[in-house]
Amino acid sequence: MSIWEKLTKIDRRYIYLMLLLVVMIPIIVPFKLHPKPMPPVENLFNAIDAIPPEKALVISVDYSPDTEPELHPMTYALLRHAFARHKKVGILCISLLGLGLAQDALSTVTNEFNSVATTHADSIINGRDYVFWGWQTMPLVPILGMGENIAKVFPVDYYGNKTDTLSMMKKIKNYNNVALLVSIAGGESPFWYITYAQTSFGVRIGVGSTAVMATDFYPYINSGQVTGMMSGMKGGAEYEELVLTKLGLKGRRKATEAMSSQTAAHLWIMLTIVLGNIGYFALRRRKK
Amino acid sequence: MTHNPWIWVSAILTLGIFSFLYKENPFYRVCEHLFIGISNGYSITFVWHRILMPTLINPVAHGEKLWLILIAIIGAFYFMYFIPQISWLVRIPIAIVLGYGAGAFIPRGIDAAIVQQLRATIITRSTFLSVYNGIWSLVILFGVIATISYFFFSRERKGILKPLSYSGIVFIMIGFGASFGYTVMARISLLIGRLTFLLRDWLGIIH
Repeated sequence: MSIWEKLTKIDRRYIYLMLLLVVMIPIIVPFKLHPKPMPPVENLFNAIDAIPPEKALVISVDYSPDTEPELHPMTYALLRHAFARHKKVGILCISLLGLGLAQDALSTVTNEFNSVATTHADSIINGRDYVFWGWQTMPLVPILGMGENIAKVFPVDYYGNKTDTLSMMKKIKNYNNVALLVSIAGGESPFWYITYAQTSFGVRIGVGSTAVMATDFYPYINSGQVTGMMSGMKGGAEYEELVLTKLGLKGRRKATEAMSSQTAAHLWIMLTIVLGNIGYFALRRRKK
Repeated sequence: MTHNPWIWVSAILTLGIFSFLYKENPFYRVCEHLFIGISNGYSITFVWHRILMPTLINPVAHGEKLWLILIAIIGAFYFMYFIPQISWLVRIPIAIVLGYGAGAFIPRGIDAAIVQQLRATIITRSTFLSVYNGIWSLVILFGVIATISYFFFSRERKGILKPLSYSGIVFIMIGFGASFGYTVMARISLLIGRLTFLLRDWLGIIH
């Protein structure tokens, strides 16, 4: 049996084992990478930077724990950016299982800021700097309803406070007061926001998508319907890089830390594809 | 290594799911069923406590918004599916949801997914204000026409339609290739997430 025949008959479990090692070793011994931010990520960053003080950034946490490694770093990075620039933030969840993740990101990032805050004005305070609206039955009720009255869609926030009594909500009534809505999603919810919120109310939409879904949203960047986008773990790492270089914030950068494993795994998969194809063509030639 | 029992539970369940890569086994089955059961249990209790209680049961119990009873009865018709004699009642809530959904979606969906996309494909004089933008707009225009021509089955593929539809295959393959590359990245990301959990939170090998 030639080496090419052996290659085509290799047990898939050896390939899994190799992939496990290729991913695991760089986690233990990482090599430094500096992801270069792509234009869609830079556009999203600039759009958040340009939010005026009287308007809010809305983050829709539309993912569940199964896509957490890809999408959670994006939520961290967006919150760090928004709080560092003192932007008002509204957070909602279209995915029921996203509630715990949104709460985790909020508490981690607010603790980061509040642990170094020296004055009350520097602190990040619930109701003044951000409101966590919670969850509402998807997708039409919250997306269309927020165009008329956000407090009516979410009468109480996640912590049980009456939404319309919170100081931030005195100025944030509906989409007219929202400068950008970023949907961080493991599914197609950015498409719902484009269809219902953008088409009906003209809200600017940003997207943080899993890599699997990224190609579905690229046409909307080209048409201008999506202002900016982070795609997959690499998109998250690019945003983290912008937060580090432009704002100097040094919180944990989970997506960037994972990029060395990601790079090694991609090289390994490319190698197996090339070897597999060479083996296939070599055997076909021999058979002829 | 951690002493937190919940991290141990999580780590053991992760290894149980990974064991499927070796072969199908009872350990994997237990983990899979646990996941489905817990997800459903969480969703049901959440909907009961955070949706039905505050928005339906509590107001109605206090004599407010009594018209919600009618809506609740129509919603409950979904369960008539399980009673063959009156299972036709399930059509009522389905019809309402479909009617409302279609009415809300069709005009906006056509605008978002077709009209705006067509507008972005149209080339005007301003497209060529930047050479880079101009070149890519031409590529996109050609790609759209070639790809649509590949799915045009009303005429035989000969004449101009033949090279055009074959070029469409190239664009479709590039699209599939990009999707596959992104899919690899997505799956590897999930593996990295789990391995990081095992190595850091469970075993404490990394910080």
